[in-house]
Amino acid sequence: MDRRQFLQMLGLVSGAAALSSCGSDKGQKELVSLLVPTEDGIVPGTEAWRPSTCCECPAHCGLLTRIRENRPVKLEGNPRHPVNRGGLCLRGQASLWRLYHPQRLQSPLKRQADGRLQTIPWSQALAEIAEALQHSRRQSRQNAWLAGRTSGTLNALLEEFCSSLGIERLAEFEPFSHAALRQSYGLLFDRADLPRYRGDQADLLITVGADLLETFLSPVDYTTQASALAADQKRHWLHLEPHYSLTGANADDRLVLTPGSEGSLLLWLLQSLASQRRYRGRWPQALQDLLPASDLAATAAATGLRSQQLQQLASRFARAEKPLLIVGGVATGHRNGQPVALLGALLQWLTALPWGGMDFSAGENYSRVGSLLDLEELSQRLAADRIGVLFVSRCDPVRHSPAALGLQGTLAKARLRVGLADLADDTTDQMDLILPLAHGLETWGDTEPRRGVIGLLQPLRTPQQQALSEGDLLLKLLRQATGKSPAADWETYLQRNWQNRFSRVQLGQLMDDGYLTEPQPQLSIRLDLARAAKALQGLHLQAPLTLPAAVIAPSIRSFDGRSRSLELLSEIPDPLTTISYGSWVAIAPQTAARLRLQDGDELQMKTAAWQSKQPVRIQPGQAAKVLTLPMDSLPAPATGIDPLTGEALRYCEALHLKPTGKRHRLPILAGSPSQQGRGLIPTPVHRQQKHDQQNHGPRASFYPEPHYENYRWAMAIDLQRCIGCSACVAACYVENNVPVVGAADHLAGREMSWLRIEPFYDEQGRVDFLPMLCQHCNYAPCEAVCPVYAAYHNPEGLNVQVYNRCVGTRYCSNNCPYKVRRFNWWQHKRTPPLDLLRNPDLPLRSKGMMEKCTFCLQRIRIAKDRAKDQKRLVQDGEATPACAQSCPAGAIAFGNLLDKESGIYRLVHSQRAYRVLAELGTEPAVHYLRPE
Amino acid sequence: MQNSASAQQIEQDVLAAMSRPSRCYLACILLAGLLFLGGMALWGRQIALGMGVAGISHPVGWGVYITDFVFWVGIAHSGTLISAVLYIFRARFRTSFNRAAEAMTLFALMVAGLFPLIHLGRVWLAYFLFPYPNQRQLWVNFRSPLVWDVFAVSTYMLVSLVFFYIGLLPDLAIVARRRPGPVGKIYRLLTLGWVGSSQQWRHYAKLYFLLAAFATPLVASVHSIVSWDFAVSIVPGWHTTIFAPYFVAGAILSGTAMVITLVIPMRRLLRLEAYIPVTHIEAIAKILLLTSLIVSFAYIVEQGLAFYSGNLFEMEQFRFRALGDYRLLFWIMISCNSLLPMTLFVGRLRRNLAYLFVLSLLVNVGMWLERFVIVVTSLARDFDPYAWGNYTPSLTEIGITAGSFGLFFLLFLLFIKVLPVLSITELKER
Repeated sequence: MDRRQFLQMLGLVSGAAALSSCGSDKGQKELVSLLVPTEDGIVPGTEAWRPSTCCECPAHCGLLTRIRENRPVKLEGNPRHPVNRGGLCLRGQASLWRLYHPQRLQSPLKRQADGRLQTIPWSQALAEIAEALQHSRRQSRQNAWLAGRTSGTLNALLEEFCSSLGIERLAEFEPFSHAALRQSYGLLFDRADLPRYRGDQADLLITVGADLLETFLSPVDYTTQASALAADQKRHWLHLEPHYSLTGANADDRLVLTPGSEGSLLLWLLQSLASQRRYRGRWPQALQDLLPASDLAATAAATGLRSQQLQQLASRFARAEKPLLIVGGVATGHRNGQPVALLGALLQWLTALPWGGMDFSAGENYSRVGSLLDLEELSQRLAADRIGVLFVSRCDPVRHSPAALGLQGTLAKARLRVGLADLADDTTDQMDLILPLAHGLETWGDTEPRRGVIGLLQPLRTPQQQALSEGDLLLKLLRQATGKSPAADWETYLQRNWQNRFSRVQLGQLMDDGYLTEPQPQLSIRLDLARAAKALQGLHLQAPLTLPAAVIAPSIRSFDGRSRSLELLSEIPDPLTTISYGSWVAIAPQTAARLRLQDGDELQMKTAAWQSKQPVRIQPGQAAKVLTLPMDSLPAPATGIDPLTGEALRYCEALHLKPTGKRHRLPILAGSPSQQGRGLIPTPVHRQQKHDQQNHGPRASFYPEPHYENYRWAMAIDLQRCIGCSACVAACYVENNVPVVGAADHLAGREMSWLRIEPFYDEQGRVDFLPMLCQHCNYAPCEAVCPVYAAYHNPEGLNVQVYNRCVGTRYCSNNCPYKVRRFNWWQHKRTPPLDLLRNPDLPLRSKGMMEKCTFCLQRIRIAKDRAKDQKRLVQDGEATPACAQSCPAGAIAFGNLLDKESGIYRLVHSQRAYRVLAELGTEPAVHYLRPE
Repeated sequence: MQNSASAQQIEQDVLAAMSRPSRCYLACILLAGLLFLGGMALWGRQIALGMGVAGISHPVGWGVYITDFVFWVGIAHSGTLISAVLYIFRARFRTSFNRAAEAMTLFALMVAGLFPLIHLGRVWLAYFLFPYPNQRQLWVNFRSPLVWDVFAVSTYMLVSLVFFYIGLLPDLAIVARRRPGPVGKIYRLLTLGWVGSSQQWRHYAKLYFLLAAFATPLVASVHSIVSWDFAVSIVPGWHTTIFAPYFVAGAILSGTAMVITLVIPMRRLLRLEAYIPVTHIEAIAKILLLTSLIVSFAYIVEQGLAFYSGNLFEMEQFRFRALGDYRLLFWIMISCNSLLPMTLFVGRLRRNLAYLFVLSLLVNVGMWLERFVIVVTSLARDFDPYAWGNYTPSLTEIGITAGSFGLFFLLFLLFIKVLPVLSITELKER
């Protein structure tokens, strides 16, 4: 045997020994075998995209789910879905945090006598429920089912379930019930539902209180509409509100009015429009006679707007070809809510319905949703001991009912309280039995968020624990209680239903695309004159709220609060205040000066019946005597019920304000609310100055110019379109495994976001948002100072960070003028099972390393590999970073600058294009299009 | 031969310091040692948990560690100045300090050299910073001032060590002669065969002068390069051309202050009043005054440049330094480095050792704060106002800084017991 042979033998033997000793019973289950194809067809290292539907809010946007190694790792908007057309908001992105939430309810829980929860098997839970149902029937108590908004086949099953068990199906509960709007539409047009508003087609959009971009009906849809409006100079969007919302921040004009005075404004608008020649013919004289008197001076006094502003508004409204007025949100959440909704509906009938600005045929399916009045009735019935078993599914009425309702107390009267939920909330805290629900990505199902749009739910991950889909749960319970059930399981039931309802082609479409559209009959909306007259007769406008008043405002980060427990959404700061964790109240700079308050000082707000203490955040542009209280800051965000509409009251008026002298440390991520005249977002003055500065002539350098062969990746961000919604930030967190570090590190200035939204306020309190991420400079200051070439410039213009080479001097971060580099101060770990939510395409980062935006290098890599297989270059639109993909406003474009046909080339050479801090000569690859 | 009696006396007096240690000395050693160990323990904890235990954050990525580094490198400066430069200029008062100053230089460099390691996020990979041949063909980035630092500091360390050692040879021979037994043998070994022949003396004088000449440019180069760590960046407040002379002057200021801080108590405790006359200390104080004036000039130039530049970033930076969140530190710095040293124009104060001692301590504080102000305020307010943020040192950083003083004093205390603190041969020449 010679040396060569010996080494070959040695290699063979040791290889065989190593291979044969690799496996173990335990190990085999956990390792993905690379040699033997798996039974479920999952090939390691390849991705699969499956359609699904987002269940994080009632809008139900269409999803494409990226699956790696049998796990959903990323959600993206389905580009063809009629609701969201590719965009996905930050809550949608964060929905995966719900799927892998460490506190997900895992098995049925039973409350013991001492209040503690005990895990019980499903069989016991079902048996106990069945027995209790029977028991209460014997005692002639009513059993009831209270659920959040339910649509699709689940609705049918629930109907069947309730009727066969004699359970009363209560009106569905949604905290944002839009009850006032539905009531008015029901009264005037006999359609007690919510239409799809066509802001995309309007040339003048006037929104009164309706927070289109945050929580109103279908925020991603309306964001897309609003961005189309913003991109068109000829169209105009005007927002009226008492506080400061993200929606107001993004409207072309934002008018601040006294809270509660919206009714006076609408009345005056109706008066003045009805007298216009254009609308006089449509407006019945009978109604005109019934309209209460209104004049300019009184309206100006009530609303706090100047007469000039009002006249301008009215004339603009009258001139517009396709005006669209949308009322809602905080405008209907006060004692004048009913007149506001009614007058709004009349104005819509007069101005928007003729040109099709409201589409009732594509209604938002809110018809089964009730209001707080229904909850009040339930509470009374509970108090009268008439309810036996109460099921509460997918909603949190305890938190969202006003304290005066006393639901928490009356709930105790029910004989058995059963909660169905995926995460514990205020309501499950009151339940005797808590049944764990599966996530939308774990079960079969369908939804119908909008009439004619059917979305698909399919299991993309097996539930790790004992959680069940609501459908399966109903069927099991039915079998337990009656001995028979309509189907063996939910999937069978669903399939049967689908086969009855859809053709084979339709079904194929549903499976392939994840959604289905069914043409809906056009509805003709007629005004019921008699009822309108009666309503106008009864119209009673009360005085606006007494100032100082607090507006309890919904948040883009948590919708009605249901997404509060997703930590990712606390990690991403509120776009206007840049506060990440904790609660606060936003006050005007004048108020702060008067009360000598600074950011973080505690303020006591008090009325006779209500009080709250919150740290203040000074909000530029906020009206002087109006405070904005985010809903999430309060334990009970509804202060009362509007007896006329059943809407939750979300105001506190006649507040007594008193600083307590205490100070909280608020994680305010912005170092300064203003851009300090630095022209990061250029004003006309800056444009002139910059122009002077940039005429420096050619650049002098010792080093050769960077040369790019095939690709020079670049990004363009249209600030005109950007609304600061932070969907891109959430997408970036999930795509790039960016660590979520928590409040303590935020207070220390150690957030890890690769991409952030910087709000910059001007002297008038108007705000522009600047998304800031690594600029991938041609002459990157970080690259020159890294002693070990961990920061280096790759041949495609990307400024890449070689994690394993990084020694952690942090000089690159110090020298980065954009401050977009993030240092790993700790070894960041995610609590299981959140550690499963990991994009395996990215290298791991450990403590002591610098990291930053890579333009989603891994996604570019995938596109390049595909192109290479087909022996071509990557084409325009093939490689998209997660931020650009998620943007509902379409503000971010990405592509290859060397491709002169590409969209990015056109944008970069647009008149509006500029680069941030261009005077430093870094030559960023991120170009911004300035707002106009 | 009339000198031989006094030469004996000099030997006796200087070497008396190397006698059996007193309790007070041992207590000092213990204290310094404990501080040092405490600092090391905190560093260990930082390595285990991550840099998060320090107060540095985003945007202030450098804080007390880099401040300490620059401070100690600055301290290390006057050793070479006093030894080499004054040797070349034949300034006779040098002999009173040169040994102590050289030792101080070495120890300060040892301490300083630790801080770039302490501040690294992944110190276990610190060898990446050296250009060593490797099969992966990874190389260091010679455009980065941090690499220049590695060379500047290690060169300075090497030259200072050789200079110190060569200067020590004749004295080691004296110690070896006076110490019987095994200890003497060790000293004998360390003399590298020094017998004091006239040929050896001739070579020695040439070599010493050569080394002095070689070390002199390092006085300018080391701290210039350290200043380029900042000046080469684009951060407002760092990116300025006056940094090199400004830092060198500052380094000499802090170095002379530290010499005074060390020599005055040493002179008293080791009873060396006869060999370190007040006039010599006064000469050092004059250097301190001169460099203080240069540094003050740099302060004025800095503010003036920012004011006249019309550059928003610079203007905001220098407004922030003087009037912002760290204004207290800034004004203490101005008081300690510019205003108080002016009192040295008064000859009586210059000769008042107690006053000089207190002043030297204050200048040390001021110079530490100067580096802190430069490092921290510049990072706290740079280009993007959204990313502005302040920095407060954590207990870990304070502990490690205290540990670095512990190490420095520990080494210095050991030095005065192990080696002659004054150059006996040069004293004899005098």
